[in-house]
Amino acid sequence: MAMKEKETQFRVNENGPLEVTGSFEVYDAKGNLVTSEGPVYLCRCGGSGNKPFCDGTHSKIGFSG
Amino acid sequence: MSDPRDRQYTNGEITVFWKPSKCIHATTCFRELIEVYNPGRRPWVNMNGASTRRIIEVTNKCPTQAISWKYNKDMTPEELAKNRTSPAVEETPETIEKKKEEEKPVKVNIMKDGPIVVEGNFRIVGPEGNELKSMLMTSFCRCGNSKSMPFCDGTHRKVGFNDEK
Repeated sequence: MAMKEKETQFRVNENGPLEVTGSFEVYDAKGNLVTSEGPVYLCRCGGSGNKPFCDGTHSKIGFSG
Repeated sequence: MSDPRDRQYTNGEITVFWKPSKCIHATTCFRELIEVYNPGRRPWVNMNGASTRRIIEVTNKCPTQAISWKYNKDMTPEELAKNRTSPAVEETPETIEKKKEEEKPVKVNIMKDGPIVVEGNFRIVGPEGNELKSMLMTSFCRCGNSKSMPFCDGTHRKVGFNDEK
């Protein structure tokens, strides 16, 4: 019997990354599975040097959103 | 014979026809032109969101002709008459996929030089844990410049957002 998976949640952090928790699968632009382990922090500011993940650049560039 | 779920949308020059029964959820329409095709909005097709040329270009990419188009000048009076009716209930790629999506894991797709496209059953919350939206399909901005944060509005193309930078 499969266990009930954890609810998938996207938290939009103020002026920061998108935090993904619960059960999910992240695929890159080529369709390869990147990770399915949460939490992950996805860049929202466009400035990360480690896209699609956050590397903290948003605070350096003063991202607001 | 027409399906009662079929819809059509016009900008006066062309009309886009939407046939939910043909949609296989390729997501091409909203990945390429969220300004026009946005499953999170009602109505989900905004014919004023882009130029006629661009709407034609993206509509032609639909693999199943779930969306198709015609010049209004080439339409029959019967077809034109349907542009004037606005049915109460509208299916979108999101609602027709609802049952299927609930069974599948949530897919988080990073689009090249574009948004994060999410499909499945999930919740979106703000910084305080307040629920923003609960839906089955959405696109999050990744370029930092959207005017409708945290969602994509197509601005990444205008600013030339590039994954390599």
